[in-house]
Parts: sequence; structure tokens; C-alpha cells
Amino acid sequence: MNLPILPTTVVGSYSMPGWLERLKTEFFARRISKHELDEIHDASVKAAIKDQEVAGLDIVTDGELRRDNMIDYFAERLPGVQTDHTSKKFYYDFYDSVVRGKIPMASLRLTNDFQFLAAFTDRAAKFCVTGPHSLVKRIKDEYYKNEEAFAMDLARVMNMELKELVRAGARYLQIDEPYYSGFPEDIQWGIKVVNTLVEGVDARITLHICYGNRYGKPSWAGNYRYLFPAILEAKVHQLSLEFARRGGEDLELFKEFPNRFELGAGVIDVKTHEIETPEIVAERIRKALKFVPAERIHVLPDCGCLHLPQDVAFAKLKTMVQGTKIIRKELGG
Amino acid sequence: MILHINHIQPERAALASSVVSTLVSMAGGEQIARRILENLNVHLDWVQYKANFREAVTLRRATRGEELLPLIEIGVDLRQLDPETLKDDFVNTLQNLADASRCAQKRVYLESFTPVRSSLIWKFNDLFWQHLPLWETASGKGYEQALPGGKSDANHPEAVADAVADFWTLLKDLENHSQLPAEIFVLEIGVGTGKRAALWLDRFRALDGERGTQYYPRIRFLLGDYSMPSLNRAMETVREHRELTSFLAVDALDPFRALSFLRYKVLSIHLTNVYDNLPTDEIVVRDGKLYFVEVRGYVPAAAATRISEAFGIAVTEFPRTVNRLLEVGPQHVHPSEGARGVAFWRSVWDAIRLEERFVTVQSILDAPLPAGVKPGLLENFVGDGVTNQRFHLSSAAVESFLNTVPLLHPRGYLQVQDIFVTKLEDYGRMFRGPGKLDGSVVNWVNGALLAEVGAQAGYDVHFGPFQYRPGSRTSILYTTQRE
Repeated sequence: MNLPILPTTVVGSYSMPGWLERLKTEFFARRISKHELDEIHDASVKAAIKDQEVAGLDIVTDGELRRDNMIDYFAERLPGVQTDHTSKKFYYDFYDSVVRGKIPMASLRLTNDFQFLAAFTDRAAKFCVTGPHSLVKRIKDEYYKNEEAFAMDLARVMNMELKELVRAGARYLQIDEPYYSGFPEDIQWGIKVVNTLVEGVDARITLHICYGNRYGKPSWAGNYRYLFPAILEAKVHQLSLEFARRGGEDLELFKEFPNRFELGAGVIDVKTHEIETPEIVAERIRKALKFVPAERIHVLPDCGCLHLPQDVAFAKLKTMVQGTKIIRKELGG
Repeated sequence: MILHINHIQPERAALASSVVSTLVSMAGGEQIARRILENLNVHLDWVQYKANFREAVTLRRATRGEELLPLIEIGVDLRQLDPETLKDDFVNTLQNLADASRCAQKRVYLESFTPVRSSLIWKFNDLFWQHLPLWETASGKGYEQALPGGKSDANHPEAVADAVADFWTLLKDLENHSQLPAEIFVLEIGVGTGKRAALWLDRFRALDGERGTQYYPRIRFLLGDYSMPSLNRAMETVREHRELTSFLAVDALDPFRALSFLRYKVLSIHLTNVYDNLPTDEIVVRDGKLYFVEVRGYVPAAAATRISEAFGIAVTEFPRTVNRLLEVGPQHVHPSEGARGVAFWRSVWDAIRLEERFVTVQSILDAPLPAGVKPGLLENFVGDGVTNQRFHLSSAAVESFLNTVPLLHPRGYLQVQDIFVTKLEDYGRMFRGPGKLDGSVVNWVNGALLAEVGAQAGYDVHFGPFQYRPGSRTSILYTTQRE
């Protein structure tokens, strides 16, 4: 599938409607069945896909609306990970999940969700997974006693799953590793783990690193300097980083550390309901263009749109596309 | 008739017993009509605020629009109730029930029924803070002397020293992880006299000096308040730290509006006795049905007459004069003599009461929720098990909280010293306001609801006792980042 210059996409999640939050929580209160919830998810995902298409995105996702949060969707699928209590007061809470033995090799059964997405769009489709570094920070380890070893085993299992996704037709995959920013001291082994995760996976792979978006607010502060030079060893095609909320100062790092990566430039601040103008978006892209050539830039929000109201998320994505068109025109496209 | 004995002071137990026997005797003597008796709930409370908005015996009706519903509630304040007149009080109240016009004749109303948070008592509250020096001159004492213990818990030196020590530890940890920002923002909302800020800065400077960390010059201490007299006073109090302090007109309901440039940058935000002074609505649950409380302010006709005569106003002009007071301020209400305007203000405030009615709502979702609160949250908060309860929505406190936390740095925290109800069921055990504290309004704050709201916004909300003053009812709310 041919993409235009400066392809536009989301980071992964789309707006989670308030009513869906309530229904997800109702499921945990045993007031609706799993079958009903699955049907609700199907309908919600179709709507999320349609919104992205109408907003004009070039690459769409399923909005991650089936997921309670970025951890549990995987924790409950990962072989060897146990969740002792599978009830929650609020759907967004984390399970207390734990690993008590070596992670066995088995499927996570993610391909169904990708195939559902692919069946309902003609656009390029992206599927996102939470990276092993982030998973080990939230899943209690009672076996490995070593985060890197635990993460490495997760990477091996998930590598198999990524290959399954490719076999199912996935061409764009994204690994989310926001916890790097909370634990910069882990970056060396964090990159090794990512390289194990993507080894032999025949797809365009993005590594998304932000400063957290839990409850729609940052979990950490700082700057991206900690990523370099370790990140240069990452065997991924694209780095997706947030620049809208934090400003573009860290773009200088792309000049200081010449590299081959595409840049997924975050140009939409997902932590405010204020809707950017196309001109602001265009200006943010222009800034990125000073450091990375246009053919290596993708345009996207800083992070997932999960916490934005639907009307705000939709308007922001539309604006992002309009701002991108301004630059495409300037580039003669 | 159902009697609810919500709270009794030991010394008032005999009076409570008299209330019960009087009511039973009236019912037995058929002095209470059967249709009233069947729907009558009597609540015995202890209103701990000496100055408040209730009479000893208060009638509350349930309504749907203007239509009266069967539920009838009589509130009894055991503190105010005179044993000698209690039977007459009940007889009068029941007569008012039969003939509402009797009641209207005894009251000069200052507003129509309105949700509590929109009542004119909050205009009086604003008036107090905007014209604080006039009130203090007239009363001959500073407002802090009206607080329990005669001074603000905010200024307790040990509490301040502990807060400073905790903050220093946070800064050190951030520095150890190379994450200490160049500018260290600290915000205090509701500055009082400025004494806490001065104590905090003194202590921080000393600790920083002792430990040689050089943090003090990086501090940017912001003092925010909507009362200019308070800001001016605070400016004088912290003059020794002038280089590090800024004074900002901040609406406690929406600090973010004035300070949005500090989004995710402030490492410590502190408020003392602010939330208890912000407008709130109230929800009542009776027999599992939900009601929203509406009030209308009035002055008893006898008091209105007395005040009017004392200030040379025709009684018919009394409501208009009160409105003028609220619009133009006390110094202008009596053009020739400012002090008389202040005296008028104080007299009206002393006499003002609130008539209450319960407006039925189909579900909690129909009640006007505090801005930013998702309906589902309140639905879960009240739950199915609550059949009889009356509680504050703490509307403006919730609004303030939600408009404050976006200022917090990811490692920053909010601390609020105030009077909190930390469990919903505790509302049934004590009267929680509104009361009058000097010229201001005071309500306990629904901490249990704040904890729910906080969780939804990504913060765990904890409460600890204020351990620095024996007998203090103050708690300290503090936030931690929710995983």
C-alpha cells in the first residue's frame, strides 16, 4: 500500500467513550456478559476506524478499545502470567498479575483483533503492542528475580506473536515503551530486549516512547537525552516521540546523533482538550523537518487519544491531517 | 413517624428524651394529623456551629417542581432547642405545615429557592473576604481568632517544618535522578495572613543552608488568592523572601486558568481551610429516594424589623438594602457613614437563616454534578446500599481539585489541610454544615467523594490526622500518583 509523504496516523488508542468505560466496568460487576461486551467492542472498534478514516488518517488502528489498559490486555494473554483476582472496581485499574514460573512459548491470540481491524478498513492498518520493558514494570515477578531476564523471555514469546501478526497480514507494527522514561537507567538492556522482540519480524516497526499517558497525564518528566546513544542500536524503523506538549528542543538530538530512523513526530498534545490549529501543526512539522527529511517523517499525536473526549479527539486528528496537508503542499505534493 | 437520632451530646440526652416523649404524646393525643404522621421523619441533630443557618426546629418539604410530595421532615437542633418551649416549637411547625402562609408572614425572604451553591450566603462569604479589614475593625479581632484554637492550623511551626523536610527529600531524590528542574515551583492557594508561606520559606532556607544543597535560590514560591486584602497582607509578611515570591489573583475554583503556563511543573501545592469555604450542593437520600437540596435565605421578620429600625430603614426596603449591600459593599450601603454599613452587614449576617426543601430527582444523574465529575462515578459513590443519608457534593472543592492537579509535576503532590468527611457513612453521625465562621461560610468537605474523583483523575487521595494540635478535627489530604 503506497503512503503519501508525511503519512498520518494515531499512536494507537482512540477516544474511549464514557459509556464504553461504564459498560466495561459493568462487565466486571457481572452486569453484562462477555459475549455482550465482545459485541460492544466490535461496534466500538468499527466506529473508531470510521472516525480515523473520516479524519483523513493514512494508517489506522482499532483504537485499542478492546483493551482495559496497556498492560492487562497482554497480561491476561501472556502464557505463564497469572491474575489472582480477575475483578476490578474500575475497568482501567490494573490487575495484580504475577509470573511464578518460566514463561512458556504459546500464542497470545492477538491475530483475531488485527484481522478484525483489517477487515473493516481499506487503509493501511497498524497494530500496537506494549513492550517487554513496560510489561515487567507492572507484572510482579516471583520467578526470574531479574527484570532483564524476565523481559527477554517475554520478548521471545511476543516475537513469535509478532510473526503471527505478520502472517495474518500486518505490515505496520508498533512497540510501546513509555516506561523507559521512568527508568532511564534500564535503557541499555531495554534496547537489547526490543531487538529480540523484533528479530526476524518482516514489518515496518515503530518504537513509541513517551513520558506516560496514564489517566491522561504524564507519569514522568525529563528529556529524551537519556535514549542516546543506546537507542541507535535499536533494530526498528521508526521512533515515535512526543514533541507537541514538551516542545521540540529534543529534536536537536537527531542532529547530535545522526541516525537512520524515521521519526514519528508527535504534533498533537493529547493532554489538553484545546484543539490545535492546522497552522500550529504545520509549524511543528516544519520544526521536525529541520532535523529529519520529509520522506522519513510520519505525523501523529504525542500519544494515544484514549483520554480525550470523542469530539476533541476527532477534531484534533482532523486538524493534524489539515496541518500535514499544508506542509505537503509546501513540499510540492 | 420515624425518629432519627443522629447525634446526641451527653449533656443533651435528657432533652432528646423530652423531644421523643413530647412527639409521642402529641401523636397519641391526635395533635398530629394521621396523613402527616404517616410521612413524618424527625431528625435530631447537634449543630456544632454556634452560628449557623437553622432555627431550633426546621421544617423541610419534599417537592417535584412546585408540587408538594408526601415526605415531611422536621430537623431539630438539640443545641438551640429550649426545653421550655419545645412543645410550642413543634406545634408552630406543624401549623406552618398546614398553612404555609403562616410561615411566610414570619420571614423576610431575600431570594427564591435555589441550589445551595447558588444561594446568596456565598455572596456574603465573598463580601467577607473582599472587605475583611472592615469586618475585623468592627469585630476588634482578626478572623483567625474565630478558628478553633484561635489560630490557623496552617501556621503550626511543627507542621510546616515537617512539610518542608518532606519537600526537601523529594527535591534530593529528583536531583539524585538528574530530574530536578531548574526552577522549583511551589504554590500556596488561600494565603491567609501569609504567615505559613513566611514560616515555610524561613524553614526551607535554614534546612537548605544546613544541608548545603543550594535549592533555596531556585524556589519560585507563588501565593494565590482571590482576596486582594489577603494578598497585600501576605506580601508584607513574606517581604524577607521577596526575590522568590510572586502574588497572583487566583480563583480557587480554577487555579489552572491563571497558572496554565505551569502545567505539570509545580512540585508542591498547599491549601489550608479553602475547600471548607467553597460553595457546595447537598444530596439527600430518604428511603432510597434521591433529593437535591434547595434553599432560600431569609431573615426572621422580627429580626428584620429590629435591624431596619436600628438603621433607619423602612422594613419594606429591607431586602433591597441587603441586595445593595451585596452589590456595592458595606462602605457604600449607608452613604454618609461607612461604619454603619458594616454594622448593618454584621447584623444581617447574624440573623440570616436558610429555609430548605428537597427537590426529587429520578437518579443521581439528574442532580447538577460538580464540573468534571463523570455521572457514573457518583452513581457508584452513592451505591445501592444507601437508603438514608444527607451529604455534601462539595461541588466547588471538587472543581477546584480537578482544576489544580493538572498543575502538578509528575512527582509533585497536593496537600490540603481541612475538615474532611472521609467515609460517606460518617455524614450520618454529625452535622457537617453549613455553619457561620465569623463572617464566612463553613462546610465540612466530602473527602470520600474527593478520593473517588482523585482516582479518576489519576491520583490516590489519602487522609492523615493533623497531629500537631490536640483535639484538632483537621485532616491533611495528600495525593500520590495513581498507578
